[in-house]
Amino acid sequence: MAFRGFGGFATSGLIAAAILWSFATTDVELSRLMSAGPRIADFLGRMFPPDPTVMAEIKKGSAETLRIAILGTLGAVILSVPLGILASETMVSPAVFRSIRTLLAFIRAIPLILVAMLMVGAVGLGPLPGIIAVAFHATGMLAKFYAEAIDGVSRAPIAALESAGAGPLVRLRHAIWPQMAPVIARDTIFRFELNLRESLILGIVGAGGIGFYIQTYVRSFQYDKAASVTIAVVVMVMAIEAINVALRRRFT
Amino acid sequence: MSTAIEIDDLSFAHTGADLPALERVSFRVSAGESVALLGPSGAGKTTLLALLDGRLQGWSGRVSVLGAPLDPDLPPPSARRSDTGFVFQEFALVERSTVLRNVLNGRLGRMSPLRALMGSSTKHDLEIARTVLADCGISDLAERRVDSLSGGQRQRVAIARCLAQEPRLILADEPVSNLDPARAGEILALLAGAAQARGATALFSSHQPDLARRFAQRIIGMRAGRIAFDVPTSELNDDATAELYREVEPIPGIGLRAVS
Ligand SMILES: Nc1ncnc2c1ncn2[C@@H]1O[C@H](COP(=O)(O)OP(=O)(O)O)[C@@H](O)[C@H]1O
Ligand SMILES: [Mg+2]
Repeated sequence: MAFRGFGGFATSGLIAAAILWSFATTDVELSRLMSAGPRIADFLGRMFPPDPTVMAEIKKGSAETLRIAILGTLGAVILSVPLGILASETMVSPAVFRSIRTLLAFIRAIPLILVAMLMVGAVGLGPLPGIIAVAFHATGMLAKFYAEAIDGVSRAPIAALESAGAGPLVRLRHAIWPQMAPVIARDTIFRFELNLRESLILGIVGAGGIGFYIQTYVRSFQYDKAASVTIAVVVMVMAIEAINVALRRRFT
Repeated sequence: MSTAIEIDDLSFAHTGADLPALERVSFRVSAGESVALLGPSGAGKTTLLALLDGRLQGWSGRVSVLGAPLDPDLPPPSARRSDTGFVFQEFALVERSTVLRNVLNGRLGRMSPLRALMGSSTKHDLEIARTVLADCGISDLAERRVDSLSGGQRQRVAIARCLAQEPRLILADEPVSNLDPARAGEILALLAGAAQARGATALFSSHQPDLARRFAQRIIGMRAGRIAFDVPTSELNDDATAELYREVEPIPGIGLRAVS
């Protein structure tokens, strides 16, 4: 992007003003920033060496996170099939798909952690609020993807199969499904990856999973244990990404 | 010789259109004939071919295809649809599926409903698929996905799918107008040759007079939904062709009308 002419000048001015405003109104104590160096070093020191004795908690926590992500994704898929159809331009009237799309945009705008906090309030601590929160939050994106998959189906091959004497179900199976299935599989895997990443921290608000242990160990100053859990989370995210890259290549 | 297509006083208007797309069309095509529908864009070629394929309802007149009358208000039963094969201008293939799968799709109307749904082809289906792939010169592409093919290769697949249907009548709507001139001649030769080898009747549309001339025994000129002429290819003269393509000018409130 080029900053040219008055528009460019105005944009630069606006950015400068935003930065100045942030500095002026936030209490950035320079002295504290200066003395922070040794304190951060001390903090990191207390994290090392990571305590390997928490292996059992890590296993238990990550298994629960995985379950939250799997069941949350399943819930989102179940919700997204009808909502995806209702949000599709080619299946329903404009009034219906426009209102459903607005609803989905509204759902997407609510951060997962916020939904999880509300759900903990509603159904109590544990993985259940996490599952509900993930299912709800993920539907905002997944139903939109499903609607796009439906609308992306080309009509011509459907007419061709009709012309060859194939009935409606056979056309659905051999002309519509082959066009949609890879898109739906890819989008669902993509959403599952996001769900898994995002649910790693759900435990912080009491909605189950490995995040619970990070929060517990940090609050009780057991930084070496928190370090082990953090390393486990990083390893998990990297593994998820590697698996997904491999999986997604299969569905193009 | 028996009659493959019999049209009497056929008129049709698309829903919402203010002018009819077909107006009092009548002609016959004998079994085994190869006929071209020639006419400018908007003449009604696609409409006529889709109607003969049983995909349009709500017309008036009498139409018989392969000896059986079409119902003006009901699509034909699927058994009869298989007897009429269609080749589309835009290929109309399932892009993410393999060439073989697309060709086998042509067999769906010939299979039992359960087999069709499961997509489980018999030995016989596979044999036919292999034969038509070879006839279309694409045996080596069988396992390739359609979205990795060129336009000419795609139309070969579409023709193979149509032939796999074992049609007695082949309808083709501008089958080569998405292809470059070199490919166009090649593909039309393939289509016309395959129809002839099978004793099938062929009716294809084109807006290019030279292509129609090269591959049809008879040429039916269409303009503004009407038959302008119907002549053996040897008798096609340039004046008649020029008349088909004479400029039209829009008249407010009426639509497209010929300038006199
Ligand atoms: N689905 C449709 N709805 C309304 N009018 C249509 C539709 N399809 C075609 N027409 C009109 O019918 C006339 C004939 O079109 P078409 O059969 O596609 O001609 P051609 O194939 O010769 O170009 C044109 O005036 C066109 O605008
Ligand atoms: Mg056309």
